[in-house]
Amino acid sequence: MNRKGKIDQRPGRALLTGTALCGFMLLSGSVALAQTLEVEIQIREHLFYPSEVRIPSNTKVKLVIRNLDATPEEFESYELNREKVIVGNSQGIVFIGPLEPGEYPFFGEFNPRTAQGKVIVE
Amino acid sequence: MISAVIIVLREVLEGVLMICMLMASASAMGHRLRWLPAALVLGFFGAFSYAVFLEQISMAFDGLGQEIISASLLLAVAVLLIVHNFLATRHANLPEASAPALAVLGVCVAASAMSMSREGAEIYLYVYAFGVQAGEMASVLSGAAIGAGIGLSLGTFMYYGLRALPWRTCLWVSAGIATVTGAGLVMQATYYLGQADILPGQAALWDSSSLVAESSLTGELLQAALGYEATPTAVQLSLYLASILAALGAMALARVSVKTREYRK
Repeated sequence: MNRKGKIDQRPGRALLTGTALCGFMLLSGSVALAQTLEVEIQIREHLFYPSEVRIPSNTKVKLVIRNLDATPEEFESYELNREKVIVGNSQGIVFIGPLEPGEYPFFGEFNPRTAQGKVIVE
Repeated sequence: MISAVIIVLREVLEGVLMICMLMASASAMGHRLRWLPAALVLGFFGAFSYAVFLEQISMAFDGLGQEIISASLLLAVAVLLIVHNFLATRHANLPEASAPALAVLGVCVAASAMSMSREGAEIYLYVYAFGVQAGEMASVLSGAAIGAGIGLSLGTFMYYGLRALPWRTCLWVSAGIATVTGAGLVMQATYYLGQADILPGQAALWDSSSLVAESSLTGELLQAALGYEATPTAVQLSLYLASILAALGAMALARVSVKTREYRK
């Protein structure tokens, strides 16, 4: 409705405003997505690749853990307080941070002797 | 084999201690252990289904299904333990005013089965993949049996220890254990919620890992019993304390409700 209380007869304008609004929301959404740093870790033959993950301090990071083995693995870390089972040939998401600079070891609970790595926060 | 012992013991410990506490507490409230088979059957079924559908569960909720289910199970058990404290306090104050058997046993069955589902699924996945599929049945199964054996012995020790107390003391001690166990479960739920980016990541308030490391034996035991966390954040600490207050509040409420009942007579 316009100021005179009549229904606005110009649908084009409303459409334009709507499109602009949607566009803005999409844009701000993608900006928010782009802000979350994504790091991929692979599990092959019960080992983590890379076994050292470097991330900036005070930043939220999305770890995408891809298990390329047929066996399940549990990504676990006491220091990061993270624990996630990733079944064979699948992937899992684990958010970490924001963290203080330092080293945060993680391991595969099902193969704790071999599957070891650490997140290095710089 | 050693890793099988450790994995199974770690998973089993927390659940076994809670179930044995509930067994002692329910007995002190005058209920026989006939609820236990139902809890075990439901728990095994829950663990099996959770493990079999884990891939689909993980993919649900944009890849955060595992965290959401785990956190929900943990919080549900924490709430049931608070209900347990209410029921136990009521019974300890005035046995005639005790809740119906269905309520007490329902809490015991539901809490035990939910706890077993979460922990059992991991054991099943491990034993199936590294024992059955990898053809290492003997070493994995014997390791798992030793781990489960140690956990069950500790649980048995706890059950008979609690049962040796006068029934009222047994209920108070059980309620105390339920209070800290529940807070520990809430603490664990915060890890999953943080992992799923539902709870915000924050700077830790302190770091006591040089005092007691979470990966040490003491740390593991403290974590299973109290939800020990070496680097808690403000949100985690507040939820932990809120859970303890809720458990104590439920006990105070039970006491008041019994007193008003006595007064009316």
